[in-house]
Amino acid sequence: MRPGLRQLTRCGWLLMAALLAVAADTRAQNPLTQNEAVTFVVAAQAKLTLSLTTLTFPNADPDTVTTIQANEGPMTITASARFASGQGILTVLASDDLRSGMNTILVSALKWTASGSGFVGGTMSNSAAQTVAAWNTSGSYTGIVTFTLDNSWSYAIGNYGTTLTYTLSTP
Amino acid sequence: MKLVTAALAALVIILALGQEARAQTLDLTVNPLSFAYPSGDPDTMPNVSSPLITVTYRVRGNGKGAWHLAVRANGDLVSGPDSIPTTNTTWTGTFGSGTLTNSDQTIASGIGNVNPATTGNITFTLQNLWTYSAGTYTQTIVFTLSVP
Repeated sequence: MRPGLRQLTRCGWLLMAALLAVAADTRAQNPLTQNEAVTFVVAAQAKLTLSLTTLTFPNADPDTVTTIQANEGPMTITASARFASGQGILTVLASDDLRSGMNTILVSALKWTASGSGFVGGTMSNSAAQTVAAWNTSGSYTGIVTFTLDNSWSYAIGNYGTTLTYTLSTP
Repeated sequence: MKLVTAALAALVIILALGQEARAQTLDLTVNPLSFAYPSGDPDTMPNVSSPLITVTYRVRGNGKGAWHLAVRANGDLVSGPDSIPTTNTTWTGTFGSGTLTNSDQTIASGIGNVNPATTGNITFTLQNLWTYSAGTYTQTIVFTLSVP
């Protein structure tokens, strides 16, 4: 092949390659896309709402009323929690036995039953937090808790009281 | 000589292809290109929204052909093993409103050209639920402008 012809051929190939690139580029514009990057941060969070802040148990004859219902009726607990893994737990702990001056009623006389996803019944304690509910996934959970107090002739007369503390904890 | 002829013939074909491809010119810009939904208490903020996003598009050299502008998510919002379904997101704006999905949804379409460019806006809104696991979720939303 003559040098001039060889050069012409080379130019042809180069031009063809360039045009191929241009053609590919223009065809790549259809369809044309634009990306939108989205971020959403879900923070660990816990929220607890109790429908009652006071529970009172009326006087009753131990022979006819062995377990006393609270005057206020059931308590509604709403526990909402967001966590990554593990378990959300709601516990309750009494500050002391029920006290009236020097007299006491063991706080274990206070019991509850419960309904609602994750909620369980139990017996009150002032030494170890008792589980009221537990969940394996984030969510907002509502439970109905009904309290009873064991009645007994052995109780000295008086106005008894204690404080219950509910704690919602997440991992 | 045959080689030169072949090369020139190929050039003609490629030029024709290029001319055809260049006949339809699409422009698409989205602003901003990223955003973060605000965090908040689901009880007080049951929904969280993106800022106003502007979408500007132009179609030239389309003759009497159809054009489509579509939006989709490339997948659910994901944070490690946890995810939030794409369909928990809705969109609203000058393109109307709808629920975001993982497949293209046409938000604007027409015949012929869009020239000069047209600008619309869109806002994404995500349900803010207690059921979401804690984490940093990410997702890519894709806008696509196409002609046949």
